[in-house]
Formats: sequence, structure tokens, C-alpha cells
Amino acid sequence: MSDEIQVIKVFDLKGLACPMPVVKVSKGIKEVEVGQVIEAQTTDPGSLSDFPAWAKTSGNEIVKTEQEDKLIKFYIKRLV
Amino acid sequence: MDKKTRDDLLKLFQSKLNEAMRFYLETCTRCGVCTEACHVHASMGQVRYIAAYRSEIVRRLYKKYFKGRGKFWPSVGEAKELSEIALDELFDAAYSCTGCRRCMVYCPFGIDTQQLMSIAKLLLIGANTEPEILTLLADTSIEKGKSLELFKEGFLEGIKRLEADVLEKWQTEAGTTAIPVDVEGADLLYVALAGAHSIIPAAAVFNAAGENWALSFFEAVNFGAFVGDPTKTKLILDRIVNEAKRLKIKEVCICECGTAYRVMKQLAGKQPFKVSAITEVHARYLKEGRIKVDKSKLNGAVTYHDPCQIARNAGVIDEPRYILQHLTDNFRELTDDPRYNWCCGGGGGLVAMGEDTLDFRMKSSKVKVDQVKATGANILATACENCHTQLSNLNDHYDMGVNVQFLSSLVADALVR
Ligand code: SF4
Ligand code: SF4
Repeated sequence: MSDEIQVIKVFDLKGLACPMPVVKVSKGIKEVEVGQVIEAQTTDPGSLSDFPAWAKTSGNEIVKTEQEDKLIKFYIKRLV
Repeated sequence: MDKKTRDDLLKLFQSKLNEAMRFYLETCTRCGVCTEACHVHASMGQVRYIAAYRSEIVRRLYKKYFKGRGKFWPSVGEAKELSEIALDELFDAAYSCTGCRRCMVYCPFGIDTQQLMSIAKLLLIGANTEPEILTLLADTSIEKGKSLELFKEGFLEGIKRLEADVLEKWQTEAGTTAIPVDVEGADLLYVALAGAHSIIPAAAVFNAAGENWALSFFEAVNFGAFVGDPTKTKLILDRIVNEAKRLKIKEVCICECGTAYRVMKQLAGKQPFKVSAITEVHARYLKEGRIKVDKSKLNGAVTYHDPCQIARNAGVIDEPRYILQHLTDNFRELTDDPRYNWCCGGGGGLVAMGEDTLDFRMKSSKVKVDQVKATGANILATACENCHTQLSNLNDHYDMGVNVQFLSSLVADALVR
């Protein structure tokens, strides 16, 4: 978990088939309040472009992205 | 439903009425031949899941608003008013149909239920009652096309991190890039999906064949087609077409994604490049001796599920069998004629709708499970992400005890020098 960001829920989306990471994060973000942050963990390289495009489309905000070897972590703030 | 909404929806209906569609709408004789053709009806046995019944939901509206008889004697023509209830029926018909077109090969007139369901899907979009997630996925793909520069760097970094895995499968000469991206003058553009499993084995095979290739920035799948939105389908498709033209590509190779292949092959129009499924490319490499595979790598009996959009609906039938001949001596067909193969039950956007459709997908695909079990095979190969997910779900749900594999991964794992 990132130090400065308070994560409310973590979603393990590692190794999922297309388009489950985006489907699950779309549902998952609705499980927290507006203004709260979720962490989505994936191993899909395509998520590095899919998630920012999803955030723009759905009106949410990716506050931080981290890559550790193959693990990618998105910290997403619910805005709508 | 107010008059303005209805008029707007009828305009959408009208926009779909080309010659073929009118033929499908006016020809059904209710002979019933398609009754057992649909896996949903064969598995669940409800009248509403008969192909001709689904079509009738659309046909009744057609009779009411676009045919003389229905306009004057609705009861005779079984015409039906376009109302909220009619929209519910359209949703039920369209989103319980996977668009597999098995019914079409049985119908003596070749009535295309999938096409008729595309009218239903368009009306649902017009009424804002389509599955929200499919529209969100389509809009995400379109956004990616618009703002590529914003996402490019992160994507390239992610791809770089996969290179070691590619080299583990097939070592290339020092100094060559294991996953080339954005290469002007590449012969082949490979359009993958977001997951590493769609990129790593494919890259290893391209490198083993000495292909001059590049990976596309975009994902192959077309959610516009799943939700039945022609405008979005085209925008999503155009991202790849424009990238291929910019890089002066000779061949666009679509990963194991049935819808992506069919949309690119049949809707891209005349382009300066040819379109292939990865299965066709792998069969060609084997034929030309550009790659070699070792049969001893695959143990057990293997069967192959033909993805509807790649086989029945786009004709790629011989190529996977040619590949499998090189991978195993123990191949077992699921059916005598692959054109009549049962759908896996996951197409038409159902898998993309995730957990919401899981129960229905499991119940409606019982015939697929029985078909796989009857082969006695322990490896179930396929060449479509959607089918792979659905077959894996079926495997878990029905305890089938098979190992569900991508055909391209079997090729990559059997590569020898
Ligand atoms: S296209 Fe497939 S799912 Fe749809 S009605 Fe025909 S057989 Fe059934
Ligand atoms: S097989 Fe064709 S003509 Fe016969 S009921 Fe089905 S759709 Fe109608």
C-alpha cells in the first residue's frame, strides 16, 4: 500500500482475462464513497493504457500508478 | 413511452432495414428447423430461447410499423406496439443470444438471427437500456484512440517488462527487440489483448519465425460490436486501421479474439493490408517450415473448440486442425462438421458482462459441456479469449476436469529449433 494514500479497498485483478480488470474495477469503485481511493492490482500490460482511458471515460481519477516488476498498482479515487 | 422516443427508436429501426434485413424479417415460415439449433434452447428448453421466437420479437414491431398489413390489422399480422414492455422483451432476446449463428446454418432460408438481434441491440442503445458496462468498455477503447499520446509511455514501459518472458520461450539474437512496437515498415502488425498471455507466446512465435513484426498500441476486441453500436464499432476499428496505414503494414494479424477477427475481416473494407487470424499465421509458418514444433511436448488427448466468429462465421476451420496435426497424434473432434459446432455460450457480450451473466451462461451451455465430455479429451484448446473464459467457467462449474488452453500457447510451448 502506498504511504501517503489511504486505500479503502484492494482489488486483485492479476492474470484476469479481457475485459475483466476493467469490468471489475468499474463495479469495485462503486463499493466505496465518492472521494475514497481503491487500489487495483493487475499484471496486464494493456491496463497501463486501458485504466487511464477508463478513468477518463467514467469520470474517476487515477491518483498514482506504480510498477513493481510485472505487478501494476493503480490508486483510483472515486469522483462520481 | 412518449411519441418522440418512439419516433426516434423507429428511425433507428429504419436505419437497419437493408435488403438482407427485410428478407430475414419477411421470410420465416415457422418451419421449426432452428428449434434445436440454439444451444440456449437445447440446454434450457424454454420457448423464448428458440431462434425463430427471438426473431419474432423484432418481427412483430416490423409488422406494426413498417408493413402495410400490421398498420391496419395488428391482430392479424401479430403486430406489436413499441413500448417499455417490448424493450424488455428485446433485451431478453438479444442478451440471451450469443450471435453464434448456428441457427442460420440450419434455417432453410439462411435467416440470420444475429443480424435481427442487432436491430434489438440498436433500439436498446437508443432507449439507454443497453448493458451499461458494454458501452463503458466501448467508450474506453475510443478514448484510448483519441488520447494515445497520454498513455503511450506507460504502455511501452509495461511491454518492456514482458521481454524477459518472451526470451525465456524463444531466445533471439542479442540486440534484437523481443517485443517491437511502433515499427514503420514492419510486415505484420499484431493486435493483442490487454493481458500478458495474449502477448508473450505470440511474440515468441513471431520471433521464432523471423517475422518482421510490431505489436499494436491498441487492443483487438471491439466492444462496439458487442453492444451493437455501428458508429462505435467503426471508431474502435479505425484506431487499428489508421495505425496499420501509418506504419505501412502488409498484414494485420488479430490475436485469439473471435469478434475482433470477424469485425476486422468483414467490416474494415478494402485496405492496403491483408487481415489474418493468428491461427492462420501459425499454420502458414508451419507449412513454410518457418517454425518447428515438437509433438512430445503435449501429453494426453486434445480436442479443439472452434470459436463461432472465427470458424462458422469467418471460415478459419482447416488451419487449427493443421496446427494440431503437428502438435499431437491424439486429436479428437468435438463434432463431425465444425460448422455445426455448439457455441461455448459466452459470445455476444455475455462474457464481458461478467458475473451478471454467469448463472445464465452456465445453464445455457450444458450441451457444450456434454459435447466436450464425450470426447474424453483432457486438453481443450481454443483460439478465442471469450471462449477460453467461458470454457474455463464451465470447466469449474461442471467439474469437467479438462485443461483449457489457448492454441497459440500450445504452439509457443512446443517450439523447437
Ligand atoms: S445466433 Fe446462436 S445464440 Fe442466437 S439464436 Fe441463433 S443459435 Fe441461438
Ligand atoms: S429455420 Fe428459419 S424459417 Fe424455419 S422457423 Fe427457424 S428462422 Fe424460421
